[in-house]
Amino acid sequence: MAEQRRYRPLASTRQLEKTMTRYYALTRYHRLWGRPLRRPLAWVTSGAPVELLLAFNIHPVYPENYGAICGTRKVSAKLCKVAEAAGYSQDLCSYARSHIGSIMRPDLAPMGGLPRPDLLVACNNICGTVLKWYEALARIFNVPLLVLDTPYLPGEVTGHAVGYVHEQLKEMAADLEKITGRRFDARGLEKRLLLSKETISLWREIREFCRAEPSPLNAPDLFIHMAPIVVLRGTKQSLKYYRQLRDEVKHRVDQGLGAVENEKIRLVWDNIAIWYRLFAFFKDFSQRGACFVTDTYSGGWAVELSPGDPLESLASTYTEIFLNRSLEFRARQMIDLIKDFNAHGFVMHSNRSCKPYSLVQEVIRRQVMRETGVPGLMVEADMADSRVFANEPVKNRVQAFIETLEA
Amino acid sequence: MSKPVSKFYLGVDIGSLTTKVVMVDEESRIIARATGRTGFSGREVASRLAASLLIELQLSEKDVAATVATGYGRVTFPADREMSEITCQARGIYQLFNKAETVIDIGGQDSKVIKVLPGGKVSDFTMNDKCAAGTGRFLEVMAGALEVDVKELGGLAEEASDSCSISSICTVFAESEVISHIAAGRTKPDIVAGVCNSVAARVAALTARTGLAPDVVFTGGVARNKGVVNALAAQLGTRLLIPDEPEITAALGAALFARDIAPKNKPCV
Repeated sequence: MAEQRRYRPLASTRQLEKTMTRYYALTRYHRLWGRPLRRPLAWVTSGAPVELLLAFNIHPVYPENYGAICGTRKVSAKLCKVAEAAGYSQDLCSYARSHIGSIMRPDLAPMGGLPRPDLLVACNNICGTVLKWYEALARIFNVPLLVLDTPYLPGEVTGHAVGYVHEQLKEMAADLEKITGRRFDARGLEKRLLLSKETISLWREIREFCRAEPSPLNAPDLFIHMAPIVVLRGTKQSLKYYRQLRDEVKHRVDQGLGAVENEKIRLVWDNIAIWYRLFAFFKDFSQRGACFVTDTYSGGWAVELSPGDPLESLASTYTEIFLNRSLEFRARQMIDLIKDFNAHGFVMHSNRSCKPYSLVQEVIRRQVMRETGVPGLMVEADMADSRVFANEPVKNRVQAFIETLEA
Repeated sequence: MSKPVSKFYLGVDIGSLTTKVVMVDEESRIIARATGRTGFSGREVASRLAASLLIELQLSEKDVAATVATGYGRVTFPADREMSEITCQARGIYQLFNKAETVIDIGGQDSKVIKVLPGGKVSDFTMNDKCAAGTGRFLEVMAGALEVDVKELGGLAEEASDSCSISSICTVFAESEVISHIAAGRTKPDIVAGVCNSVAARVAALTARTGLAPDVVFTGGVARNKGVVNALAAQLGTRLLIPDEPEITAALGAALFARDIAPKNKPCV
């Protein structure tokens, strides 16, 4: 069926694939180079202070990113079932279930599963699930687990919250000295922070370009092209990649090229992507000229590092992550995005997996609608477990929502 | 014989349980309607119902200037345009109750609350999650367990003296709750009242999300069930307006949209 293409592909996607393939190939063959180079492999949560690990020459690997890969490749449901059969509740995060399932049945898993970790690093700034998930991993592999506890912020970050996390980071550095046999290298950490800082500012710049009308990028672009800033944060490879992407996006803006043909409706997305239907889901929007010009999820990696000495900067940066903050903060964030990006509406993915992200959405939705006057749609789904997705009801709501915007 | 100068507009609503067709004239008046069980092929049922309307009105297909389809089967029907039933519902209700600001619709597998702006535009809506609790299907399952016709539920609920409590929101678990009430010797009216309260509670919770602004109109087949109507009115603490034919309002909205999109100068021969 020949269908008219309404979606403009990015040339940088090739470089993205190369960057990510190289990272996962290095990861996969870590057993060949990790030990001789004394570079242990750590499984880490997406909000872990990775610059500190990089300063110890640790190779970080992200089970959450892997969960997204399982989702995109449509194998999550299978892997989740494996974990459920082993006793993990269906109500647990589908990244956790996919990942645990991939450990039990590597034959079903993309890339044959992730390579064994030498240590585990979990930070609860993104959710509480990671604590129990990583405890389970520590039992399975019998490797050290380092936990960074970031207190929830009901308001602005406080001195004692930063102090509390700072102390833990010092302890973590001492633990990492023992585990890696290397001395803590403050200069090395500063170098890593500098690389992160530059990459973050490029990612910010790229996102800011989407204020243009038409927007040069749509949400699926953001979700796909965020991969390097997640798994290669604090490295030269991600810096190099985002320079190229920035140039391409800037070119689009200069030429007035939009991601979606005939952009008529501008929307903001909230929550993690629906990985197993990434394109199919957004096609229902792009076909009717609706473009998601920005989102809260991939924007989580565009937050500037806090000032201060390296460990202090890490302490406040990783405590101030948006998922660790109040409903008021989150509502304000949505309102600002809608105003700054001149959006006509917003869509919230009520993600069954991600409780801290989803539980407060309905209250935020009403507050944002009240303050901005634009409509907001709630879609119930899951980021990776496709069994939760009911296609017809979702399509129905999406259509009604677009009709409302067109009226 | 038909009048060749008049034009007519058809709205087709293929729902999960029932298919509804409505024909309106140039003045937006309902001139005919028909309903049937959707069954396996909603498209065939809709075509048959539409054909029956034409016979009843002594019209031919050419007299129908435009058709809009809505409901779950909307994409299967060869219409000039398909629209979501949320948009159609709001439009249909605005035609009947122009002061309505909230529409509560309980259909076969959906329950939804729509906030309507003046003019019949949708400002917000919420729907039930992927779950049959609080829908017509829920009532059908419970009627099955009680061995009564779903149409009798309303009358039975009014005879209740001490309503049972149905606490589970899952249709399957609620059915087993009903069965245990039967086993405990509770009367049918008391159990039915409990079932109606349970549906009303689900829908009232949904209403709390969008907020409740009068006038409130209750539509969908379930609006014929007095048990649910009374329970919902009591739980929301408001009066509910109910159309004479509460199941055809989305089809009416579709017919009105058909009137909007029809080419104005197309001669009808």
